[in-house]
Amino acid sequence: MGLMDMPVFSALTDKMRWHQTRQGLLAENVANAETPGYRGRDLKQFDSGTMSAFSSASLSTSATQPMHFSVSSGVGGFDAQRMANFEITPEGNGITLEEEMMKVTTNMMDYQAATSLYQKSVRILRVALGKNA
Amino acid sequence: MDFNSSLRIAATGLQAQTARMRVIAENIANADSAGKAPGDEPYRRRIPTFQTVFDNEVGGRVVEVGRMAYDMSDFTSRYEPGHPAADATGYVQYPNVNTLIETVDMREAQRSYEANLNVVTVTRQMLGRTLDILRG
Repeated sequence: MGLMDMPVFSALTDKMRWHQTRQGLLAENVANAETPGYRGRDLKQFDSGTMSAFSSASLSTSATQPMHFSVSSGVGGFDAQRMANFEITPEGNGITLEEEMMKVTTNMMDYQAATSLYQKSVRILRVALGKNA
Repeated sequence: MDFNSSLRIAATGLQAQTARMRVIAENIANADSAGKAPGDEPYRRRIPTFQTVFDNEVGGRVVEVGRMAYDMSDFTSRYEPGHPAADATGYVQYPNVNTLIETVDMREAQRSYEANLNVVTVTRQMLGRTLDILRG
């Protein structure tokens, strides 16, 4: 079982990729802030459904006979819900530099939170393995 | 789109604003450049234009400096009979540069430059955090 098969890590990686993509779009907005006719773009909100998926994910019983009931919670494996790419939303053409700066800062802070969580998860894993963390 | 492309997009923004600053500097420097002889055209104000270009290599929409357009508005004229470029009525044609407008433009370019620089700084911090994961 690789690290990416664990829901926590795949969810955090998704979130980090989302912030990375958003940073690129925000960079575009700032660079093109004074280009006439430019339409600013931003990413759609990170789908919290995928984030909550791993908290509610539970083990499902395997049906060895067709008569068995399925007791899975309906939420499949998290990996099935991983996003291949993110949807981009256009939002007006007027770009406010202040607003973009705020978005850039928020994006960075959220990204840092995600990387911190990632590091903590790795540390927990090391504790579980019996290594001094 | 990875962090490197974010950095490169911000870098094009820096380049564009630098080019704009250069044109503004030209305008301000030549604000009093009248012609040498009567009938000569004085310096004509230039305007930088920006355009959005999709860069395949970067994978994003970068900004590029387009054509340097000429400001076709009227020249100003001042009454200076002693000037070598004065016409028969004693008026000299001066450039259509308004120093006030250029100063405001300059400030705007400066702010935009700072904003792009801020994006570079923040992106570098995020990149640093990614590498921090390696340290565990």
